[in-house]
Amino acid sequence: MKKIILPLLFGGFIFGILAFSKNFFTTALYLEVPKKWPKPHYDFKKNPLTDEAFQLGRHLFYDPIISKDSTISCQSCHLQQTGFAHVDHQLSHGIKGKIGTRNSMALINLAWNKNFLWDGGVNNLEMQPLNPITNPLEMDEKLENVITKLQRSDKYRMLFSKAFGDEKVTSQRLLKALAQFTVMLASTNSKYDKVMRNEVSFSSQEQHGYELFKINCASCHPEPLFCDDKFENNGLAIDPTLNDFGRIKITNRPEDYLRFKIPTLRNSQFTFPYMHDGRFKTLTDVVKHYNALGHDKNLPKELSKPISLSDNDRVDLVTFLHTLTDKEFLFNKRFSFPNK
Amino acid sequence: MTKITLVIIAALLFCFQIHSQSKSDAIVINFHLEFDKIPLELNKKYVSASKDTLIVEAFRCYISNIQILYEDKSFFIQKDSYHLLDSDNLESFRIPITKKSDALISKITFNIGIDSITNTSGAMSGDLDPINGMYWAWQSGYINMKIEGKSSSCKTRNNEFQFHIGGYLNPYNAMRNVEIAIQKYQISSNGIDVAIDLGKLFSEIQLKETNSIMIPGEKAMTIADLSTKLFSAK
Repeated sequence: MKKIILPLLFGGFIFGILAFSKNFFTTALYLEVPKKWPKPHYDFKKNPLTDEAFQLGRHLFYDPIISKDSTISCQSCHLQQTGFAHVDHQLSHGIKGKIGTRNSMALINLAWNKNFLWDGGVNNLEMQPLNPITNPLEMDEKLENVITKLQRSDKYRMLFSKAFGDEKVTSQRLLKALAQFTVMLASTNSKYDKVMRNEVSFSSQEQHGYELFKINCASCHPEPLFCDDKFENNGLAIDPTLNDFGRIKITNRPEDYLRFKIPTLRNSQFTFPYMHDGRFKTLTDVVKHYNALGHDKNLPKELSKPISLSDNDRVDLVTFLHTLTDKEFLFNKRFSFPNK
Repeated sequence: MTKITLVIIAALLFCFQIHSQSKSDAIVINFHLEFDKIPLELNKKYVSASKDTLIVEAFRCYISNIQILYEDKSFFIQKDSYHLLDSDNLESFRIPITKKSDALISKITFNIGIDSITNTSGAMSGDLDPINGMYWAWQSGYINMKIEGKSSSCKTRNNEFQFHIGGYLNPYNAMRNVEIAIQKYQISSNGIDVAIDLGKLFSEIQLKETNSIMIPGEKAMTIADLSTKLFSAK
């Protein structure tokens, strides 16, 4: 009997402490990681997912309140139906019609990303929103003003309270909640994924495109994420109106001159225009760009030999890229504009 | 049997922890901003040893990972401690430390700036809240030290100089460790007094040439190296 009582007492003691320390209730969420996929990079232990914080993040994502004049929300440049990219706009837009210097990136499978932005300047998903919020060409707002505005709002006091146990709005809570929403934006159910799970099969054209993809593209866009956390110079000529030299601005390392983040190809059917400055309108333009690259010692070894695809090959390759479209993701109601 | 023993040991350790915390008292490290050994006043004119006339408008600096070493070779580490000294908030220059030993203090060490793990760990609160203006958005990372002011030597907009010293990625990791030996007479009932003498920084640079450092890199590394010389026991 004694043997049981002591551990029980101790357990009760610990439970008591826990119960008193957290007097509100949340519903735990988990990011589903498909079989054979790598482990997500995001550290969920430091920001355990809950439905309440996710919903708060979702409201914040869709609310222009975080911009200076309440005209621009995250959604303004990251539309769900286009893979959370800014369709048809080469460069991101900000308040009062201001135009940024880079193409807004698609928000897909961010849990697996280590670095953010085209130059990888941001090292943690939680810190990413600081950029659009404070950039004068985007939302042009001060973090302290965002907090004041949210603290004044009945709706947000309620949402913060549900997510964190009290009404206090802090930058840490704001950033963690936004991260809870964006980290859940996982696209894992395209036709490609279904083929890999042997549920459906590729058409012969798609299959041929897949073979071409594995030979010509996969070294920089490896499956299953179709990107990796690397930066490369992909042979684009410098746009003299932007003079954007890429990652060298962050690292000061000469080898990073003209290197930009390798983006995912998932949902690329809808994330046009392409490249860091949005210079290509169609996937065919992109494939043509790589097809036209000649021998160039300044390019990485993956691009040092021309890929020389025939017109038919090019069509098949693009057909394969369309199998990376995940309609379930693009129209998932959990990620759409919140109703209340 | 072993289970019970473990539980009892855990419980005892827990009680011991509470007991030892309540028993120990605190000492305070008081930082003092100076210019050539005289207490620094914001917006007051000083002439540096390099003959620059200047005013300092703001000084902010992170002090982290404070360790106290005692004469009996024992030591105390203030874990996860990040303190922002801010010239707009004098109270921030006073850092209380839970004292762990009755032995004489022989040395204190701390970092100027924020370690690389904390720099990559996402959204923080308190002194590490990005709202404090010590965080770079476009290139993630904390600014370890900020010194801003004006000098007629600076041919810049409004004659401003701005030193935002930071960077956590090698080879431009700008965090610096400072070690200060403490003599017996330097420990008072108020604790330990540490001077931060900005005069020493301005004596090593020419504001005409060096007046604007806002990104990690070699120039920031030079100022970071100099910054360790500013700190001394009073």
